[in-house]
Amino acid sequence: MSFDVVLEQTYPYPPERVWRALTDSDALGQWLMPNDFEARVGHKFQFRSKPMPGWRGFVECEVIEVVAPLRLAYTWLGDADWQEPTIVRWTLEPIEGGTRLRLEHSNLQEPWGRELQAMLSQGWKKMIAEKIVRVMEQFESVAGG
Amino acid sequence: MKSKTPINDSFRAIADPTRRAVLDLLSEGEWKVNDLVGRFRMTQPAMSQHLRVLKQAGLVNSRRAGRERLYRIRPDQLKPIADWVGQYERFWKRKLRGLGEFLEKEK
Repeated sequence: MSFDVVLEQTYPYPPERVWRALTDSDALGQWLMPNDFEARVGHKFQFRSKPMPGWRGFVECEVIEVVAPLRLAYTWLGDADWQEPTIVRWTLEPIEGGTRLRLEHSNLQEPWGRELQAMLSQGWKKMIAEKIVRVMEQFESVAGG
Repeated sequence: MKSKTPINDSFRAIADPTRRAVLDLLSEGEWKVNDLVGRFRMTQPAMSQHLRVLKQAGLVNSRRAGRERLYRIRPDQLKPIADWVGQYERFWKRKLRGLGEFLEKEK
């Protein structure tokens, strides 16, 4: 079972400007995380942050789509025990006076896959009491980058 | 395998972005079905189906008021899940704000 996060935001700048912020490694490092990104399909890179309890401190990625200045996608593997990578997909749409940027983070199913199995077999109350707190802490640290 | 467990239902309920958005709205108070239909620009049967899934999952309650049916969330059931699923949503919202600030500063 997986979850998608879909967000849209408009910016009063042309797509080329937004594209540069998404694809220039230094720029990207200033608002997302330090990285060794290159806008080239097949390029493997990492977003790096401070390791924390419950998180190794970096995200492993691989570029899977580059269509300047409209579409960019990469895989996003947040931690070593994720069973499969999630996908981060950026879509830029020119609009009157700026750009509509759409972010889709899809296939989010780890690190809670095993937790979900445990929940299904052990029951809801126990799950909330004991395990969700831990999963939430994991997420907080992943998200904290 | 005809019957589903309530736990299964909870996860199916929150796996859908529309239903999460409905839960967000209901967290502010009671809503009439028709107002939700207007807000989400979907048909009444489609919205009723979403609400049915949420109700079966134990995440919302409904009551009748005249000819209207009003829905509200059951916060006790919802909070742990909402916090949990919302982590990445909050992460990216923060980052998208950061992107806006970066673009502004770079000008």
